[in-house]
Amino acid sequence: MPAEESTPAIVLRARDYSESDRIVTLLTRDCGKLGGIAKGAKSSRRRFERKLEPLTHLTLFFRRRPHGDLVFITRAEPPPAPAPILDDDLGKIALASYIAELADALTGEAADSADAYLMVARAFDALGRSGASAAMRQSFELNLLRVAGFGLEFARCRVCGNSPSEAGAAAYFVVARGGVVCARCRAHAPEGAVRLSPANAAAMAELAGAPVEDAARMTDAGAEGALALARFLGSILDRRLRSAALLDSLM
Amino acid sequence: MAENFKRNDGLPPAMTRLVKELSRLPGIGEKTASRLAFNLLNRPRDEVIALAEALLEMKERIGLCGECFGLSDAPRCPICADPDREHDLICVVEGPADLMAIERARTFAGVYHVLHGAIAPLDGIGPDDIKIAELTARVQGAAAVREIIIATNATVEGEATALYLARALKPLGVKASRLARGLPAGGDLEYSDSATLTSAISGRREL
Ligand SMILES: [Zn+2]
Ligand SMILES: [Zn+2]
Repeated sequence: MPAEESTPAIVLRARDYSESDRIVTLLTRDCGKLGGIAKGAKSSRRRFERKLEPLTHLTLFFRRRPHGDLVFITRAEPPPAPAPILDDDLGKIALASYIAELADALTGEAADSADAYLMVARAFDALGRSGASAAMRQSFELNLLRVAGFGLEFARCRVCGNSPSEAGAAAYFVVARGGVVCARCRAHAPEGAVRLSPANAAAMAELAGAPVEDAARMTDAGAEGALALARFLGSILDRRLRSAALLDSLM
Repeated sequence: MAENFKRNDGLPPAMTRLVKELSRLPGIGEKTASRLAFNLLNRPRDEVIALAEALLEMKERIGLCGECFGLSDAPRCPICADPDREHDLICVVEGPADLMAIERARTFAGVYHVLHGAIAPLDGIGPDDIKIAELTARVQGAAAVREIIIATNATVEGEATALYLARALKPLGVKASRLARGLPAGGDLEYSDSATLTSAISGRREL
């Protein structure tokens, strides 16, 4: 039998499978993203209790199975550090769900997702402390995209390298360029570019360069920033995120 | 995770079909389904007919109560039709199984509202996908509602639903309360025992 392994983990998705089992997708610190099956999860409160719920931090114990993609989850224990409280506010639940779904969509099964795990863990902590806000959402989107290899550029024009906000003029976000072009280089921006006011372009640049912990004190990049991010995410994801609807209705 | 249905070689097609249908049921694997099928094969004909008829009748007659949306074979379920229940006290649950669990505890004398689900952001299930608008309409239409007890599960989805309901009910000026937190240990109300449910209801807190 393969040895039991353990790692801190966050439950991204969970669903009941048969009468007593549960299938979960976890982002782990040490073992990448894992799919696992917890036999008897619904009846064995001693081994699993409420810990196999989406958005939960836990210490995961599992064995790999020689055949099959799902690891065999043996038990779940409390996480190494106290977990943030996310279920006392609808905005927190909505944003945390969105964060989990986006992280799931942007990480591959086998990929080294330690950075994504840390990003989600830090975002959940910040969310638990400060509550949900548009700035928090945009900050997480920008930070997770960077971790996933899509660093978006808002501080410098992708064509001439100048700072669009210094000139006090609007900037234009171009999906295909993964960043903005300044007003002077606007000829290089295609028809569908998203216009960002000077203030919103500056807010985007600030959010992109700041850790997610700072987002609670920062200004969001408005509907223009949200649209730019939605367009970019739409271009790299093969489906619309299910949790976006509730989140959009709340903020 | 599609359950790969193995061909039962040597089994007559009529048996294979039954095994296949039975194994669609939750908790029934192929082995159990075969055992059930052989058991049915060996039963007297009238017993098998009674089972088949019960299944059909259930499917054809059971609908939803027009008031509480609980399962009912009449336009109004026996609980809603009972004059002795407290009609100004409404307990909101996720599903019919939760209603049954609370009824079994024999501790609640009010009426119910069955949502038929919970807000589940990760599954894309929003407020409009469950019977929340029906609840607010019911509260607005009722003569007076003394209190609404939100008895959704102690899961993320159950909490999201409770928080949303509290928001939706506030402008209607009706008192809303939530089951005592953490009491149904595993989260699912339907698996809680009667004593746990009784203390969860009596220990409820106002939202
Ligand atoms: Zn430029
Ligand atoms: Zn009824």
